[in-house]
Amino acid sequence: MYAWIWRHLPGPWPVRLLIYLILIAAIIYALFIWVFPWAEDAFNISEVTVG
Amino acid sequence: MHRKAARGRRKASRRKTQQPTPQRNVVALIAGGVGELMLTAGAVVLLFVVYTLWGTGIQTANAQDDLRDQLGLDAGQIEKDPIPLDELEVGDAYGIIRIPRFGEDWEWIIVQGTEDADLKNGPGHYLDSVDPGEIGNFSIAGHRSGHGEPFAQFPELQVGDIIEIETATGTYLYELDSAPNGDPDGNKIGIRDSWVVDPVPGEGDEAEPTERRITLTTCWPRWGSSHRMYATGILIGGEEV
Repeated sequence: MYAWIWRHLPGPWPVRLLIYLILIAAIIYALFIWVFPWAEDAFNISEVTVG
Repeated sequence: MHRKAARGRRKASRRKTQQPTPQRNVVALIAGGVGELMLTAGAVVLLFVVYTLWGTGIQTANAQDDLRDQLGLDAGQIEKDPIPLDELEVGDAYGIIRIPRFGEDWEWIIVQGTEDADLKNGPGHYLDSVDPGEIGNFSIAGHRSGHGEPFAQFPELQVGDIIEIETATGTYLYELDSAPNGDPDGNKIGIRDSWVVDPVPGEGDEAEPTERRITLTTCWPRWGSSHRMYATGILIGGEEV
């Protein structure tokens, strides 16, 4: 999977590396902003109220 | 050139000794792909741990700063002309809670309301419960893990500990008469045990309260929420503005 993405990125290797890192950073950002807050609510792992 | 030649030689020799069938290549490809997916899943889970431990705290710290501004805190005092408690909207800054057991400087801004969105910003005031100093049961919920973990040390609360609440109407001192007392499983209750926040704890909604009480709730265990934990106390002093 990762090798496949690497093969399909354009440009010489430094450019590919840069694009790759940006891609990974974007995915991590999306996880922190949207996915993790959703998961926290969905799995009810931090409820502190009674009733 | 040299490298290419070497690669070609290697290929040639491999072809001679063992001929990989196309089928085996597919199996290897799938196995490799599954392996990569599992590694990725592991990394995502680790990132989620980072998020709950540290990521959620950043948002909470920012929210607390905004809430402090809302209260107009000046030299640790609430401004002279604040919004009356009964006119507050859900999510507004409600007051300050100080628990000396958690440290000299331990101070959090309480939020009005106990929905997830409110509790992300700080300890929340149960909307159905009375305001501090009033007859009834002033109740607060707070996180023990993540979101700044205001109640991280909750089990350390002892009977006799002081809880100080400051709002627009004054400063109120409560003394705990039931607390975990250092037991990590102390005062553990079920998630539906809302009797702890009743006007008279354990007496249902209709019972007419005569005492001025405080109740704090948080999660149990610390990193989960299969149960809850509570501490409760009674008003012993303070001064109204």
